[in-house]
Amino acid sequence: MKIAIVGSPNVGKSVMFNRLTGSYVTVSNYPGTTVEVSRGRAKIGGWEFEVFDTPGMYSLLPITEEERVARSLLFQEKPDVVIHIIDAKNIERMLPLTLQLIEAKLPVILVLNIIDEAEKIGMRISLEYLSRELKVPVAATVSTTGRGIDILRGRIEEYVRAGIRQ
Amino acid sequence: MSAQGFANSEQGDILEVSLEKIEGLLKGDYGVSKRTIGLLLLQGDDEITALAESREPDNMSEIKEIINYTGKHYVQPLSYIITLRRQEEASRITGIAVEHLPKANLAFREKLSRVMINPLTGVPILLFVLYYGIYKFVGEFGAGTLVDFIETGIFEKNINPWATQIIKPIIPWQAVRELFVGEYGMITLGVRYAVAIILPVVTTFFVAFAIIEDAGYLPRLALLIDRLFKKIGLTGRAVIPMVLGLGCDTMATMVTRTLPTKRERIIATILLALAVPCSAQLGVILSLLEGNPRGLTVWACAVSLVFLLVGFLSAQILPGDSPSFYMEIPPLRMPKLSNVFIKTYTRVKWYFTEIFPMFILASVLIWIGQLTGLFNLLVKALHSPMRWIGLPDQTAVAFLFGFFRRDYGAAGLYDMKKAALLNGNQLVVACIALTLFLPCIAQFLMNVKERGYKTGVAISVFVLFFSFSAGFLVNFILNILGVSL
Repeated sequence: MKIAIVGSPNVGKSVMFNRLTGSYVTVSNYPGTTVEVSRGRAKIGGWEFEVFDTPGMYSLLPITEEERVARSLLFQEKPDVVIHIIDAKNIERMLPLTLQLIEAKLPVILVLNIIDEAEKIGMRISLEYLSRELKVPVAATVSTTGRGIDILRGRIEEYVRAGIRQ
Repeated sequence: MSAQGFANSEQGDILEVSLEKIEGLLKGDYGVSKRTIGLLLLQGDDEITALAESREPDNMSEIKEIINYTGKHYVQPLSYIITLRRQEEASRITGIAVEHLPKANLAFREKLSRVMINPLTGVPILLFVLYYGIYKFVGEFGAGTLVDFIETGIFEKNINPWATQIIKPIIPWQAVRELFVGEYGMITLGVRYAVAIILPVVTTFFVAFAIIEDAGYLPRLALLIDRLFKKIGLTGRAVIPMVLGLGCDTMATMVTRTLPTKRERIIATILLALAVPCSAQLGVILSLLEGNPRGLTVWACAVSLVFLLVGFLSAQILPGDSPSFYMEIPPLRMPKLSNVFIKTYTRVKWYFTEIFPMFILASVLIWIGQLTGLFNLLVKALHSPMRWIGLPDQTAVAFLFGFFRRDYGAAGLYDMKKAALLNGNQLVVACIALTLFLPCIAQFLMNVKERGYKTGVAISVFVLFFSFSAGFLVNFILNILGVSL
């Protein structure tokens, strides 16, 4: 099974990738480009996953080569889980990509990363409301300290279990 | 049809109706929803349009007609309208999901952030950071206190005599013995320079760098310095390789990859090779000119002037425009001890494993050079340029070492100062010339690797020529003015 990590640059994608995969990571260029794609393995809830970290993207309508590569990966690799990582304090600006991923019927989990900074500037975000409104699982994390990672793993597990039952 | 994820479009909305029609016409499998493909087609995405042309042989002309027809109904491009509607939806959701609590702390951080970016207040802050971060911490503490302790306390008193004692009975041949414990021996010189001089300096630099990085100061420095950097053909983005160059120019040259245009990368490479002293050099130079504030001022002015002048001229000569610059500014935060520790540890480890063999190799090469007489030949060849810039012949050795490792050369000068072989003027001239001198062999290799053979070699030849000219000029001016530092 496959997990894709997507999101705009500087939201902690790579740190999250490292958190989920540990060692055994390979980095290769996407065919015909200089854009690098990291792949690793993760074991969550008894399942083996191949995890890949896509280049930074802002929208499904690409402008840069990185975004083109990220979209191609998403469309072609048929991931079982797509983890969309956003910077929690910039949720309003980053949510449009979540909407696009959901619209594309990709199996999205929304991750509000760097939640500590959002809290520090006085933001309170209702995960329940977001999850209900978007109809996807939502988790709040701080990838650099590891806060919320176990909850994210749990969400991934539930998601895959629900997918299998269907 | 669920409108979720796109917009609360009303029924009868032309965009929505067209989208549904296109969805109905799409027959191929795209791996994602037809709605997404339809939206991308409406927004004129080339890749998806080409894909649809191959997969929808029967319906593509009709789809194109719908797209044309829809586009004519709107003043703005469809991509703009679709993005706008999606943003409205996102704002509606966040409006309900997010609650803002007032926080007094924010105001102070925001103020501090503005003070750092404003040139009037930002420049003094920068000088403050440089004075305490680089001069006091790296220069005085790292290159002074720590180096003294490790070099004198540990190496000269313990390791060197001990190594000499052990090697002597084992190796009877003087020539081979020299390889290990001679004047330029692997242990007495190679290991000593690497561990006693370079390690403390580089470590303290990386600690300082990790702290300002973790605090979020670098992006603010980038904004502050952007206007100045524009004049020399760079943008604020170059601030990271430049500051990193104060740590290790070789690493910084590699980091110039993050600059968006070839022109910027070339200018940055030239400046790094020429006028940005690395931490090891910086540390040794600061300790060379310690207690000589006027000499330090002349050195700092000369190197800054070269930096700006060469940057300005390169920007005039090299074709192309400066790109625009914008950057996301993360909030200021208190540096975290664990972050600083991990960042410093990984960088020092990387750096040390990279340079340690270089030092040993340099010792071996010098040993071979001395044994064969080649080294003496090269040193002799350097004598005249040395005299030309008013330096004693022995300086040639330091300059030649400098090529194997720039910091190695600066450390050679340090030995000469300790032996009182240089007066104030000569010390300043030597420091300027050595700061500008040919990059160390590692940086030379990196220049060639990153910029290509022709450009890399050209930059190095230019730097060689320039450093001696600058040394000559400074010496000349000091003599004419009758200044002694």
